[in-house]
Amino acid sequence: MKKALEVGLGIVTSIGGFLEIGSITTAAQAGAGFTFQLGWSVLLGTICIAFLVEMSGRFAAVSKHTIPDAMRERFGVNFYAVPLVVMLGVSLLTLGAELGGVAAALEMATGVSLPVWGIPVAIVAWFTLWRTNFSFIENGVSLLGLVTVAFAVGAYKLHPSYGEIAKGLVPTLPHEDRAHYWFVAVSVLGASITPYLYYFYSSGAIEENWDESYIAVNRAISAIGMFFGGFLSLAVLVLAGMLFKPKGIDVEHYQQLPELLTPIFGRAGFWLVVSALGIACIGATLEITLALSYLVAQGFGWSWGENLPPRKDARFAVTYIALIVAGTLFVILGMDPLKLTQIAMALTAASLPVGVFPFIILMNDKTYLGTHTNGRFGNAVVMFISALAAVLAIVSIPLEIVGGS
Amino acid sequence: MRLIAEVLDEQIKDNKGSNAGRVDGIVLELREGKPPRVAYVEVSPITLFSRFNRRLAWWYARHDRKWGEGRGVPFRIPWSRIRRDGPTLRVDFDADATPINALEDWLRIAVIDRIPWSRR
Repeated sequence: MKKALEVGLGIVTSIGGFLEIGSITTAAQAGAGFTFQLGWSVLLGTICIAFLVEMSGRFAAVSKHTIPDAMRERFGVNFYAVPLVVMLGVSLLTLGAELGGVAAALEMATGVSLPVWGIPVAIVAWFTLWRTNFSFIENGVSLLGLVTVAFAVGAYKLHPSYGEIAKGLVPTLPHEDRAHYWFVAVSVLGASITPYLYYFYSSGAIEENWDESYIAVNRAISAIGMFFGGFLSLAVLVLAGMLFKPKGIDVEHYQQLPELLTPIFGRAGFWLVVSALGIACIGATLEITLALSYLVAQGFGWSWGENLPPRKDARFAVTYIALIVAGTLFVILGMDPLKLTQIAMALTAASLPVGVFPFIILMNDKTYLGTHTNGRFGNAVVMFISALAAVLAIVSIPLEIVGGS
Repeated sequence: MRLIAEVLDEQIKDNKGSNAGRVDGIVLELREGKPPRVAYVEVSPITLFSRFNRRLAWWYARHDRKWGEGRGVPFRIPWSRIRRDGPTLRVDFDADATPINALEDWLRIAVIDRIPWSRR
């Protein structure tokens, strides 16, 4: 019974925590630019992240190691420094975008300009990490994120052609604007397959003392939770495809996002988008900050844990304070969160092999996983993700220059 | 024992079960006519940095020396005081009483304890 409740809560929080500024804006750009034709990139990204999350949870439950922990142990510090530096750099941009997303929501709600909200948002993020524990962040904030279900309700009320949506789930070549098509596809994949998510998940499994009895729980949460989360991304794409594309509207400013729901729900739609953006981005802010702090603390063998009071893991606490300060600088300096998101998602896609390749090796290491190593199917999927990530890395940067503007 | 695979970079826990850093280096003792044996493991940013760049390690050690006696050199744990416990290595002393947690202690006193609710 307890496990069933945990599965239910895990699924609900996975759904509530799935969307953030990257997935909302890239799905909206995909729909606005190509109607439903890029639905496949949402589907592929969702399948990829579901597999990675399942693997990271299984790895933690069986080996009692988090991914950064095992990566340093297995490959040594000279190798570990590479994903550490790359992930810190790329995820810091994403953190800046998420903090900017919260500030953008507050700007739309109050009319007070975005940079002014930088410090208040940073204080709320710090205070939540400082005063609460892991369960509060995972469950409380993610449950609030269920407001993003409004996107699915809105898409349903528009009575889209389900046949056309299904056609979009099969990859097709673009007829026009090819560079932009591939750039948006790369951005959607980068927004879906975010390394911080499965790093965060593996550390969360350790924080919550998972063991081998959680393998089935983990599988259910990652498969069902990620599937419905991806469904919400697809709903955003459908909304943009039906509301923005016919009018020739490109998503270039975050102020356009409320237009996804105001034609359906009126003024309530505005508040739904603003609250969805604000809550989703504050949730992602907390997850990224913790994921990066885990990455540093576990790599160096420090005391760490969101369930510990800050004075019990001072270096860990100072790390997350420093990260919030660094991320807030992007907001205070007035960087457009939408532009920052575009850069961050393309770089995330480019940097995926750095995290995924060593993860494949770990997932096949019997010393960590015993009889629970990846099966052939799991290996094939992860190999496919790695190959996809490598291709993304090659194409995303030139695409950003050619088609990203 | 495979030293690189099973000892280097492993997590160390102290006698209270707290994380006490990782094995940043291994010191071998060479013996006449006998195989070398492990004398110490080192837990120190100096050793860690030396695995990337010796000048960086030297620079760090020079600054670390200013913090007082016993600083500026890697902290060494005799191999006899370490035992394996599953995936981790355990030492038989409290890491808080050693330079391993010097930075942790300094941050706790100088930063964390000055902020309200640091104990929750």
